[in-house]
Amino acid sequence: MKCCYLSILLLAFELTQLQAQQNSTPPVFPAQPQASAKPSAAAPAVVTVPVPPARPNGPVQKSLVRITSTEVEPDYRAPWNAGALQRGIGAGFVVEGNRIMTNAHVVSNSRYLTVERDGDPNKYPAKVQFVANDCDLALITVVAPNFYKNMVPLKFGGIPELESTVSAYGYPIGGERMSVTTGIVSRIDFQLYTHSSIDQHLAIQISAQINPGNSGGPVMRNAKVVGVAFQGYSGDVAQGVAYMVPTPVIRRFLKDIDDGHYDKYVDLGITYSKLQNPAQRKFLGLKDNDRGVLVTTVVAAGPCAKILREGDVLLTIDDHPIASDANVELEGERVEMPEVVERKFKGDTVKFEIWRDKQQMNVKIVLSTVWPYFVLGHSYDVRPRYVVYGGLLFQPLSLDLIEAYQPTDLRLRHYFDYFVLEQIYLQHPDVIVLTNILPDPINTYLAPYRGGIVDEINGKKIQTLDDLAKTFSEPADRFVVKMIGDGPPLVLDPKQAEAARERIKTRYNVVREQNLEEQAIAKAPENQKKI
Amino acid sequence: MRRNLFTTFAVILLTVSVAIAKKEPALPAAKEGKQKPLSLVRVNVTGQPYDYFRPWQKKAPLSKRALGAVLSKGRVLVTADLVANQNYVELERAESGEKSAANVQVIDYEANLALLEPAEKNFLDGITPLDIATDTVVGDRLAAWQLEPTGALVATEGLVTTIQMTHYPVDVNQFLTYRVSISMQYRENSYTIPLVKNNKLAGLLLRYDPRAQLVDAIPAPIITHFLKDAETAHYDGFPSAGFSFFPTRDPQLRTFAGQTGKPGGVYVTSVEPNMPAVKAGLQVGDIVMEIGNNGIDQNGNYVDPLYGKIEFTNLLTAHAFAGDNVPFQIQRNGKPMQLNVTLEHRAAKNYVVSPYNLDQPPLYYVLGGVIFQELSRQYLKEWGANWQKEAPQRFVYLDHFQSELFPEGHRKIVVLSQVLPANATIGYDDLAYLVVRRVNGREINSLADLAEAVKHPIDGFIKIETEEDPKQIELEAAQVAAEAPALQENYGIPSLERLE
Repeated sequence: MKCCYLSILLLAFELTQLQAQQNSTPPVFPAQPQASAKPSAAAPAVVTVPVPPARPNGPVQKSLVRITSTEVEPDYRAPWNAGALQRGIGAGFVVEGNRIMTNAHVVSNSRYLTVERDGDPNKYPAKVQFVANDCDLALITVVAPNFYKNMVPLKFGGIPELESTVSAYGYPIGGERMSVTTGIVSRIDFQLYTHSSIDQHLAIQISAQINPGNSGGPVMRNAKVVGVAFQGYSGDVAQGVAYMVPTPVIRRFLKDIDDGHYDKYVDLGITYSKLQNPAQRKFLGLKDNDRGVLVTTVVAAGPCAKILREGDVLLTIDDHPIASDANVELEGERVEMPEVVERKFKGDTVKFEIWRDKQQMNVKIVLSTVWPYFVLGHSYDVRPRYVVYGGLLFQPLSLDLIEAYQPTDLRLRHYFDYFVLEQIYLQHPDVIVLTNILPDPINTYLAPYRGGIVDEINGKKIQTLDDLAKTFSEPADRFVVKMIGDGPPLVLDPKQAEAARERIKTRYNVVREQNLEEQAIAKAPENQKKI
Repeated sequence: MRRNLFTTFAVILLTVSVAIAKKEPALPAAKEGKQKPLSLVRVNVTGQPYDYFRPWQKKAPLSKRALGAVLSKGRVLVTADLVANQNYVELERAESGEKSAANVQVIDYEANLALLEPAEKNFLDGITPLDIATDTVVGDRLAAWQLEPTGALVATEGLVTTIQMTHYPVDVNQFLTYRVSISMQYRENSYTIPLVKNNKLAGLLLRYDPRAQLVDAIPAPIITHFLKDAETAHYDGFPSAGFSFFPTRDPQLRTFAGQTGKPGGVYVTSVEPNMPAVKAGLQVGDIVMEIGNNGIDQNGNYVDPLYGKIEFTNLLTAHAFAGDNVPFQIQRNGKPMQLNVTLEHRAAKNYVVSPYNLDQPPLYYVLGGVIFQELSRQYLKEWGANWQKEAPQRFVYLDHFQSELFPEGHRKIVVLSQVLPANATIGYDDLAYLVVRRVNGREINSLADLAEAVKHPIDGFIKIETEEDPKQIELEAAQVAAEAPALQENYGIPSLERLE
């Protein structure tokens, strides 16, 4: 969910309180048996042992694997290149159905994966089955048929209580042998998942040490997986703060891929504000009952477009009353309203009772993803899109681009920051930036245009990178490229550009002059659809 | 797009050629210094800037000590920086320590110059006024004059390395600047150090980079321009034409603009609304070839008789006055034309986001605890020296692109700057840095618009619409009025509005 940061902080407080009240009751989420699970061959017997054993989680070695991933990170500054090779170590664990669960960030951008297990000298090549970059989870599988023979699939538990002890398993700092650390559950909270850097979901903070190499490893309590270790703070910010993906997020991921395809988290595509001011409530004609939030922006590319309007008041969501501070009560807990949507899937509906022009109305929203948000997050397993023409490198604005170039240009930053909120994507689905110039006699005077955003070419609006490539491929006497804002047009002579083409390609080793499709490098289950 | 890399290059070349030619001592002859009191006075200033975060009050007073150059007719020249937002200015004779209060006669914040006059008419008697030397060129040696606590002169000599157009602290125009390589010593009066050539005033310290040991100085031609203007009944200020430009080095751009004949001139990229250039008919896409018979090359330079190649904007600042009619030779689609541009000074209030507000109290309007202000660069500068990075980025963007975003000009941007928690603002306390679009359904283009719109509530409610989320907030008019005294009392606000 892409909600404002502030609300998330507030929610954190409330959730923690709630958790504290419930300390006396049994686990919040009863460990539900997997509906379709076959009886497993060797369920850990620990559960029935009356006295706490020395190793309360059983022989985790029989489930834990060490994953080595060779990754190629795309080079946004020279997008025709394959990119830098990196090797990373992560952990994973066997789950029902001969699959291995790990973090998305362990396997994203990977070109070759191997899996090792305890007491076996072999390295087993593995394949990615599903990646969910928005919640940092992935499922991989080993091709070798006998790999799973002696492996024990782990079962999932619920949300552990605050202060309960948990153990994290993995291969921190790349060691060859399994490492165990223990700690307690410190906080249950919404957190930014840094892998995509735009998604916020439930995450559990634990005091167990987690280091690189722990990623993807199980965090266990009473022989059940209560989370997947995935991120932490390092250095000056804070110490000993580690997070795991909790089981509600894991279960949602597993349910989403039931149909053989990961559809991602859905979103309402709205922003809203609290309605705590009495005068504002009176003005809107609301009852004095502490209910309702005000819709402030409706993203035109989102599922609420044309159904909700700026100024509507949301009174209930799926019959749960929405409090004026945007909380709803869900299964006895007070959570922020989008949590209702968090638990749903693409194509599911959500019902709102709304207040518009002092009239009550009911609306139904069919949930979907909101593509402009993806531009603001990291992409993985895709080649960067770009066009090189006359030595000029054009690339669409994205978080990856911003991180690669670190531009200070105010206009560029504004277009990025307000891409969704000011609905810039309606005019510029691709914000095409002249990111770099490969110097050549034909472009030697063009350096001042660097960092500009393409608006028109020969009087025609350029909305996508495809438009740009198509325009440059059509015959013309010259190309007059108008950039956004006051500035001179950039003028190119196609004859000169054509003559310089091979020279520039050779000199700068531009192996491909354009990539228009955000196609997957290898066969990946995710593909982002642009409008 | 107005980069002056090319100017720097041109001037460096020039440095080499002229540096050999001149070598005159800049220090005063020793015996002269002993005979007469120096043409300097100490200037003590207590300033108190307005607090834009609490616009009803001033910040704590701050004292500065500086030097002033004594000019003819009992005037003392200092930088505007020194006396901006001053409460009290005092002159002090270096040799005797005698003091007199002084008034600011004329001040030009853009050129960073001010003239002071002592309250006691005869205070400067016996001090020989400084003449002004406007002939400084690259390669000349200038002396920076400072004073020892005893009143004795400390003179440090340096070499003029570059003469070019640079931005002054109030960033509205580029002005001519001397760059002097000099290793100055620290003295308590670090403001307004005069630079002297042959006992004549050649410039006034603008900024000093102690690491590189480089001084930028306001040069004599800018000082004489200021003094000449100051002698007229009404001080106009430096003129501007109101267009931006781009060099025409790129042959493709020249061809596109339809240029025929010899390459040269600058490409007009935008014209400011209601300014001289647009009034004279200058259009985007024109190429300005000549200004007042000075040919402009494709880098935007003309050949100055004194300095050689230098950016043509010098012709419109140092060499021209507001009201001057300056012929522009232009090419439009290859056709030569002449436009006669009557230059004007553009006052700070004629910008959408005014570039500076000094010696003037900031405008504000407090409504039930919600504070409204007009967006100004002075407000943004409250975020400190690094304000362009630290201030709300949306506001910095609006300031930076103001002429592009508001081509019609003639308006202000009213912002909701912060909210003081009060009964009327419950639930709004986290709101800040929002652009106000409408109040009670009326468009808001100035704080006065807002004050008027507030008087027309909708069914007893004041509805404020903002560009950003939350898009709308409402206050109850009766409640706001009833709670106003308590709000003033609680937060120490003497008046809830300042609209003039």
